[in-house]
Amino acid sequence: MNTKEMRIDILRMALAAKSQGAHLGGSLSMVEIMAALYGSVMKLDPGNMENKYRDRLVISKGHGVMAQYVALKQLGLLTEEQLLTYKSNNTAVNAHPSVNAALGIEFAGGSLGQGLSLGVGLALALRCKGNAASRVFVVLGDGECDEGSVWEAAMSASHYALNNIVTIVDRNGLQYDGPTEDILALADLEAKWKSFGWNAVTVNGHDVDALVNALSARPGRPLAIVAETVKGKGVSFMEHAAQWHNGVVTQRIFDQAMAELEAES
Amino acid sequence: MIDFTSTNIRLWSRLGSCGAFGQAALSLPETKEKTVILTADVCNFSGLDRFRASYPDRVYNVGIAEQNMIGIAAGMAREGFTPFATTYAAFATMRCADQIKLCMGYMNLPVKLVGLSAGFSVGILGPTHMSLEDVAFMRALPNVVILSPADCTATVKAALAAAQLAAPVYLRLTGSMNNPIIYKEDFEFEVGKAIELRAGDDIAIIATGSMVLHALKAAELLEQEGLFAEVLDMHTVTPLDMEAVEKACAKNLIVTVEEHSVIGGMGGAVAEALALKPSRPPHLLLGARGAYPHAGDYPFLLEYSGLTAPQIAGRIFETYKELF
Amino acid sequence: MTNEEKYTKAFMQAFDIDAENVRTLEFQAIPAWDSVGHMGLVAALEEAFDIMLEPDDIVDMSSFARGKELLAKYGITF
Repeated sequence: MNTKEMRIDILRMALAAKSQGAHLGGSLSMVEIMAALYGSVMKLDPGNMENKYRDRLVISKGHGVMAQYVALKQLGLLTEEQLLTYKSNNTAVNAHPSVNAALGIEFAGGSLGQGLSLGVGLALALRCKGNAASRVFVVLGDGECDEGSVWEAAMSASHYALNNIVTIVDRNGLQYDGPTEDILALADLEAKWKSFGWNAVTVNGHDVDALVNALSARPGRPLAIVAETVKGKGVSFMEHAAQWHNGVVTQRIFDQAMAELEAES
Repeated sequence: MIDFTSTNIRLWSRLGSCGAFGQAALSLPETKEKTVILTADVCNFSGLDRFRASYPDRVYNVGIAEQNMIGIAAGMAREGFTPFATTYAAFATMRCADQIKLCMGYMNLPVKLVGLSAGFSVGILGPTHMSLEDVAFMRALPNVVILSPADCTATVKAALAAAQLAAPVYLRLTGSMNNPIIYKEDFEFEVGKAIELRAGDDIAIIATGSMVLHALKAAELLEQEGLFAEVLDMHTVTPLDMEAVEKACAKNLIVTVEEHSVIGGMGGAVAEALALKPSRPPHLLLGARGAYPHAGDYPFLLEYSGLTAPQIAGRIFETYKELF
Repeated sequence: MTNEEKYTKAFMQAFDIDAENVRTLEFQAIPAWDSVGHMGLVAALEEAFDIMLEPDDIVDMSSFARGKELLAKYGITF
């Protein structure tokens, strides 16, 4: 997948949203995660996103969904025109995902801390059905890990010895009000997942090959990948900047950002 | 197949609503092959020990983690399973309200949420375990069907009906062990269709759950005073049986009785349904009101809330005399 | 039907077993006599003898033999 084009598309969507603003920081940080999943790791058939042997993807950090939409455009499932309806009334590309089976959007999102439980339900259901071919991928935000329900779900996945669930934590280090370590310290996330019975690794979340490599592991139990990322990745003035968690892109800001993105090799 | 023999009906009554649910659950996989049961550390209390013994791979005890239970149930529903999720009504609903809103209200996933010991039946454990607000919350959600069976026979019928519905369902179980029998034999339980258990021209008493029995007894007491009350078992709170509510308007007084707050419950549903009607009888709403009562046993708490048959009859009698 | 026959039949019906296995039976000796089965037995006895058992007696009814003693209280003799 063309991650440069994905970032440009995200910026275009944000511009289209005008003064409504867009969740840029957490969308730009997970572009490579989406590229690794949709481009290499996930089993899917773009001609039939409801294929029962597909891998399931749950974007639990629903505000990062722009990264999913632009990946779906790379697959040819969404057009540029559709992307530019972002945040308009009745659009299919909402600020937070709504269920769209045809696009492989399994669940609605937006209320944090719920996606991993939904993923555990999918993983148990697949096991019950004897479907060993499919895996379940759940993308969490690091700030989202403040929610206690994440850890209820984490405990249950290892309790049920689920070998078909993978969670990727977008460890961009920032949440709405500032650095995660200032708001509610997450400390060593990898150690936390390990202590909950998961196989956990930390990788560079902007290195698609490293992500693909980590995502391809089959440890025989739940797998957590702490993807170290930069919030707002790709646009210098949005990087590490809490104010770009959700921000308004004017034409001037857009031009500045595009100049940077297009200059990138 | 589940048999509605007199011995079974007596057994369910003896077991109480939780045990009766467990017995109904045992028969579900016969007709709904993809039935699964989730519980939050109340497998035994939900009467599910036999289900677990018969279908060990279809029971998931998630521990004391209600929010996770709803999410897992919704995930399994998304994959075509029929998940029943059980715990105390107070925790089943309010503890995980946002998960319920997302999964059952917004996404319309057919989770069957079973609220055990709703109302006052475990009130000896204090207000934390009373569930007097659950219907108000669940009723505010779109898509969710709310069933509130009157006795253990009806509990079995409601559980079987819930499994067949494509919609998300909240099955609200009231009453305790040794639950008195109203339905002595098999009967037609149609979701959304109230059952007239007693005819009477003066008053319509619309009751739900455990209060159906008390309403029937109250109607007998009123008859001794020369007032004739119809008693309706409103076993489905959503969708409300509008036809039955319209018919009740032919009486001089409508009374609703429920083991729930008078705010937002079945009585509230009836009041909302009639709000725009220019000509309609006055409506007396009976249920729990005001501050939480002190912990106490079931009869004590019903008495405190004015929900015993003589108290119900007394309130109706006074109101009727004042109005007419 | 004698009381002995009625009593034995209630056990056979509640636990789905044969008459010869009934006499030495105790609570939880067989899978069918679990807490649910216990209430099934209570229901079957109440049906057979047209009685309502007291909560204490329900708890006490721990075996085929003990049940007979308890029923004496309800005027049922063997």
